[in-house]
Amino acid sequence: MSTLYEEIRELMAVYPEPRSATLPALRLAQEKHGWLSPEALREAAEGLGETPAYCMAVASFYDMFHLAPVGRHLVEVCTNVSCALVGAQQVLEAFERELGVRPGETTADGEVTLRTVECLGGCGWATIVALDHRYRTHVQPADVGAIVEELRADG
Amino acid sequence: MSAPENVTLTIDGRVVEVPKGTGLVETAAVAGIEIPVFCYEPRLGPPVGACRMCLVEVEGIPKLQAGCTLTAQEGMVVGTGATSEKAAEGQNATLEFILVNHPLDCPVCDKGGECPLQDLTFRYGPGQTRMTFPKRTLDKPIPISPTIALDRERCILCYRCTRFSESVAEDGQLVARNRGSMSMIATFEDEPYRDLFSGNVIELCPVGALTSTQYRFEARPWEIQNVPTICGLCPVGCNISATTREGKVKRILSRNHPEVDQGWLCDKGRFAYPHLYAEDRIATPLERVRRRGFGEISWDDGLDRAEALLRGAGGRIVTALSGSETIEEAYALGRLLRVGLGAHSAVLPEATSSALDAFRAPLSSIGHAEVVVVIGEERVADRAPIVGLWIKQARRNGGDVVELAEPKLDAELEQRLRSSDRAVLIWSGRAGGGGARLAELAHSLGFDGKPGCSAFHLPATPNGRGVAEAWAAAADRDEANPEPIGLLIVSGDEAAADPAVRALAEKAEHVLAITMYHGLAVGWADLVLPATSYLERDGSFVNLEGRVQRLRRSVIPPVPDELGWISKLAARFGVEISPHASLVFAELAETVYGGEASFGDVGERAPLPARAAYEPPEPRPVAPIPPPAAAPAEHFLGTLRLLRYRPLFSGPTVERVPELRFQRPAAEVELAAADAERRQIRNGDSVTVRSESILTLRARIDRRLPPGVARIAEEHARDLGTTVEVSRSSNPFTSAGGERA
Repeated sequence: MSTLYEEIRELMAVYPEPRSATLPALRLAQEKHGWLSPEALREAAEGLGETPAYCMAVASFYDMFHLAPVGRHLVEVCTNVSCALVGAQQVLEAFERELGVRPGETTADGEVTLRTVECLGGCGWATIVALDHRYRTHVQPADVGAIVEELRADG
Repeated sequence: MSAPENVTLTIDGRVVEVPKGTGLVETAAVAGIEIPVFCYEPRLGPPVGACRMCLVEVEGIPKLQAGCTLTAQEGMVVGTGATSEKAAEGQNATLEFILVNHPLDCPVCDKGGECPLQDLTFRYGPGQTRMTFPKRTLDKPIPISPTIALDRERCILCYRCTRFSESVAEDGQLVARNRGSMSMIATFEDEPYRDLFSGNVIELCPVGALTSTQYRFEARPWEIQNVPTICGLCPVGCNISATTREGKVKRILSRNHPEVDQGWLCDKGRFAYPHLYAEDRIATPLERVRRRGFGEISWDDGLDRAEALLRGAGGRIVTALSGSETIEEAYALGRLLRVGLGAHSAVLPEATSSALDAFRAPLSSIGHAEVVVVIGEERVADRAPIVGLWIKQARRNGGDVVELAEPKLDAELEQRLRSSDRAVLIWSGRAGGGGARLAELAHSLGFDGKPGCSAFHLPATPNGRGVAEAWAAAADRDEANPEPIGLLIVSGDEAAADPAVRALAEKAEHVLAITMYHGLAVGWADLVLPATSYLERDGSFVNLEGRVQRLRRSVIPPVPDELGWISKLAARFGVEISPHASLVFAELAETVYGGEASFGDVGERAPLPARAAYEPPEPRPVAPIPPPAAAPAEHFLGTLRLLRYRPLFSGPTVERVPELRFQRPAAEVELAAADAERRQIRNGDSVTVRSESILTLRARIDRRLPPGVARIAEEHARDLGTTVEVSRSSNPFTSAGGERA
């Protein structure tokens, strides 16, 4: 298996401007570490030949990079216009009740992080909930119990 | 290059003609009109239009435009806030918006009174606030380094500081974190902003967000005076202003000389001024008292003792010069010793060859070079930091930078240098006859006839060349090396701290030291006469370009300056020398500077003398540069050649400034990647360095380092020999990398 350093070097070769590999490199580092810890940022920076500060600056601009630890599973509820119109707020509240956390928080056992996100590009299938980046469509508050159970069963 | 085409445009009803492509801010300035700015700063690269202070109305464009991002075009009709109501309203709104979260703590803010935000709000901003909400509050100030404090509430997010970090210093350490209204300036984690040029962000900040920890709460702008002078800590001679209050230096600011420093200043030049107030500064002459160390004596007694030592030596005198004396002081000392006593022998750390005058050009020419060749093993930034910035600028402008350990050019590079009109050679190393060898190389490449091609030697001392010339001009007799030495005169702190001078003292019967600090005099001097700093003297320095620049006395020193007492002492030996730098300069100028230059002519921004005709350097044997040790064969842990270097942040001045401690090099040995791998050494490992003595240092792998050498800062190399063995420390528990076996 190739190391993160090697993978980033390969990515950089794909782009005419090596710095363009910053976002995919950060994604790789986040996948490896679970979140972009200082250590993960340092590793990404070494691969990219940039400073850790540069990587931190880029990562902090984007919502999908985590600069604090997250749970093993990620529940992201879209609360943008289309989803809001068909009850995203109620879906979100159902997740809050079911998981016992507020948006942005992680369950005490470190299993699940709940977040709200902006448009996921699935307005025709509102409300969209992304479970570990896989979409569930037409989610209703009543579905939430089963979804959480499924997540927890996944270990 | 063809002359750029001119365009005519109208700003606030005034017709102005400028070359096409001139920035609108500059164009307006030509017409005598101000377009106010915060973020705009051409030295930081292309404009970003971040602050919106420069809004103007341009005929034919419906929305207001950021003036700083526009360039002059034919027929353009521009209205600034002075004539366009729309623009004035826009600027007013911009300031109101900027002030939404600005704390307006001006009464306790260091910037208050010299703050662009204050000034522009006064002239263009709303007279009152409509804000009824509480302002955002944040922890403040937070140290981003021991020398810089950050107040994030005051920050208006103009991005000048981060642009400096990214595009000028290219250190990539100061960045904007988060986005939108949550953006804030930050370093990585809790790491300090550690770069040679970090202090420039304080001056760039148009508000009180980045302040100097040394200057915080020390003075208000209406209590201070700024004295235009020259930094005396390296051979660049950056133009500076010394801010003084009640007779004390409180801070150092850059003073843009576009040909020398472009308004940048290194942290050594900026933050080292507290050396004036070091605890061990000597205030009176000191005489060695048997067994008990030093006893203070009066100046009259001091001069009597000095006279006695000089007479007693019977001409067997050697003078160890620092290269940081003014030329006037060196000349006066030369007159006293050479004319008065026939003592011609002097030593200086490094000679500088005048043969380079044939290839002279302003340092700024490096920034536009298409090829820059840096020869030598010393890093440019350690000898002349600003030159490092000019080289970075050359690279940003598309130039190629080639680093060579030895002056051996391959055929391709040689051809390139021959055919180029904008090529620069830089010598950054110990050997090479003080640039003599470089001058020969430049001559052989045909640089004589090409004004765009230049050659620079980076000397080890700030004014070595000026001191050598002044000393030579003081008399025209031959030097003789007295044996044994009756009296060693140690002139200045650098000489006093130099191990080679200390070794010379072993052979001397008596030592007279001229130094600022007790710590440098104790244990070897028989008589100590207190010295002054470059911030306390009038006089002149010759920088590495050959530019004569003036030092102005910023504050009155606590002791008489050197020129004053040298003049008195000289009179006792029948030598007449003025105690005034201007008069000594006039005498010196006649012999050295062709009688043309006068003290007053040097001015605040000194001009560069014209190129001289090439004369081959005197046929003095030039010590060859030691060749790098051959790369060891596979599987063979051979020895490495020790490369000692003097870091920028070292020496008696820096050692006396606690705020600069974090900038000094760690106890490290730098190794090439191949050498480290062969020894199974990783970055951060604790390693043993062995020659006649043994040291434990931390390893740092440097990909720029050629194989076969171990690079260690002088202060950490101590008494290691010229070749060393490097191996991983055997005890795993001493591993600095944190791994336990």
